[in-house]
Amino acid sequence: MRIASRGIPLLLAALAIAYPWLVPNYYLVYAGALTVMYAAMATSWNLLGGFTGYVSLGHSAFFGLGAYGTGLLVTRLDVPWVVALVVSAVLVTAFAAGVGVAAVRVRGASFVIVSIALVSMMNLVVQGWRSLTGGSTGLQVPSPFPGLHRGQTHMVFFYLFLALLALALLVWWYVSRSRFGAGLRAIREDEDKAESLGVPTGAYKVTAFSLSALFVALAGGLYALWFGSLDPIFVFSILIGSYMVLMSLLGGVRHLFGPLLGALIVAPAGEYFLIALGETQIHLTATGLVLVLVVLFMPDGILARLTRRRAGPSIHDQSADQRLQEVTP
Amino acid sequence: MNLILQGLALGVLTGGLYALLASGLSLYFGVMRVVMVAHPAFLFLAAYLTYTVHTAFGVDPFLALPVTVPVFFALGVAVQRLLVARLAPDNLAMMSVLLTFGIALTIEGLLGTFYTGSYRSISMEYATRSLTVGGVSLPYDRIIAFAVAALTLGVLFAVLVKSRFGRALRATIQHPEAARLVGIPTGRVAGYGFGVGLATAAVGGTVLALITPFFPASHWVWIGKLMAIIVVGGLGSVVGAALAAVLLGVVEGLVLVTVDATWATMMFYVFLFLTLLARPQGFFGGRLAHRF
Repeated sequence: MRIASRGIPLLLAALAIAYPWLVPNYYLVYAGALTVMYAAMATSWNLLGGFTGYVSLGHSAFFGLGAYGTGLLVTRLDVPWVVALVVSAVLVTAFAAGVGVAAVRVRGASFVIVSIALVSMMNLVVQGWRSLTGGSTGLQVPSPFPGLHRGQTHMVFFYLFLALLALALLVWWYVSRSRFGAGLRAIREDEDKAESLGVPTGAYKVTAFSLSALFVALAGGLYALWFGSLDPIFVFSILIGSYMVLMSLLGGVRHLFGPLLGALIVAPAGEYFLIALGETQIHLTATGLVLVLVVLFMPDGILARLTRRRAGPSIHDQSADQRLQEVTP
Repeated sequence: MNLILQGLALGVLTGGLYALLASGLSLYFGVMRVVMVAHPAFLFLAAYLTYTVHTAFGVDPFLALPVTVPVFFALGVAVQRLLVARLAPDNLAMMSVLLTFGIALTIEGLLGTFYTGSYRSISMEYATRSLTVGGVSLPYDRIIAFAVAALTLGVLFAVLVKSRFGRALRATIQHPEAARLVGIPTGRVAGYGFGVGLATAAVGGTVLALITPFFPASHWVWIGKLMAIIVVGGLGSVVGAALAAVLLGVVEGLVLVTVDATWATMMFYVFLFLTLLARPQGFFGGRLAHRF
């Protein structure tokens, strides 16, 4: 078990790094990069959704803002793309902290409403502010690697997204082992009790909210540099936000690799649908039905099924003796 | 000044429609503590069905109602009994939003596949004219929309207040356990509550088809607007939702004539966030709201 749990992730990581050389054409590299991008975003979403149980359908707002921030900095102010990426992600994180203060005041369903409203708002702003963003015609961002042809660009961005995914996974893992993570879990299990026990719930929730916005914004910025053209209706679509939720739920929100697994299933399936059925709207129906089925029959996700752990309290009971044995050598 | 009056009048007329559309949401939240994100999607489903009936048989859109209202009532009961009632009670609030979100996506995808993504509209001869009162022109289609909405809301209130079923429904909303103790089959009543909610969506969809062009993805805008209304009014309060609907309708109308359409829609979100900051439980009642 030990060897399997250590070895399989390493093997998968090696496979992921070798992936662009293993596949026969650049389309599959592109599809791979897209999948890794979604995996990074879903993992980042899970920093909020998995730990605190606050389901946000509006993380595409941060995706879109990160994309537009990076794109605008590159095109209007001529800053180097790395700087633009980082600056826009930091700005979006600060913005998310501001929104978070208002948003996490409400729980449950109201929070989901707020997150949906956020996307619609940002969509309106970006489409309405024509002089800055180009409105509904979109924004063109020059490629950061003009020397490379299209396929090589896909390859570069595959690795950039892979690095982002690794970073997001690392942060999730680190948070899950920290006192901060324990506090967030306590909020999920019973927010009032957590608060009465002295967990600074408000500050923790806002921190988790902004942290999860950070990586989504970075993914958005990379997306802008990668695709080179931004369509406000697509980048601020509620569909991207719901993909993050669907992937995380399908894989298992309480597991480090849950969102990644979900992304590996949902994103290729979406691409396949696009090829097999063309540009019809039926893929929405497929996404919707899968979401309904997951919510009804597998709300704990595939990994929870596989590891056969029932969704009991995630802070597991431990006697003082056991605890003592862990710390004393 | 005339412009302001015009905006005010249009706002009140639209607010009436908003009140009808939001009343269904309040019902769902009341009986099941469920935020039904799919309500606007069903609204547009009704609009498209009305469109089909209108173009296929060439009849008045309101003649579609005897068909759509019972169908939607049955659909609502089915959604509650077969889907919502099966969710685990812990974390019902979040999961029900995701569930109904999935339903909304499903409907949008089906509408997009069958009707394509382009705009559709129903234009009746009477809808293009307008009534002029003291320099303010009131389009007939808006007046009809307001009248139908007011009538439906009136019937809904009468049912809730007078009938035996209405009393059972209100008891279920107020205290499900106590209602069960006095012998009310709360599960079935909740199902009928959903049915009534969706039946209002059928009426609302027909009215909507009459006054505005629509396409499958337009239900997202309505999710934002209606959610803002029920949060400002206080979740679960039908009266609060109606008051907030008229208030926001008037604000939208005024901003629409003085600034532009983007800001008019933005007002809903501004009010939503202001309400959350100042009074998360809503301004008109809604003692249920805080915890959900």
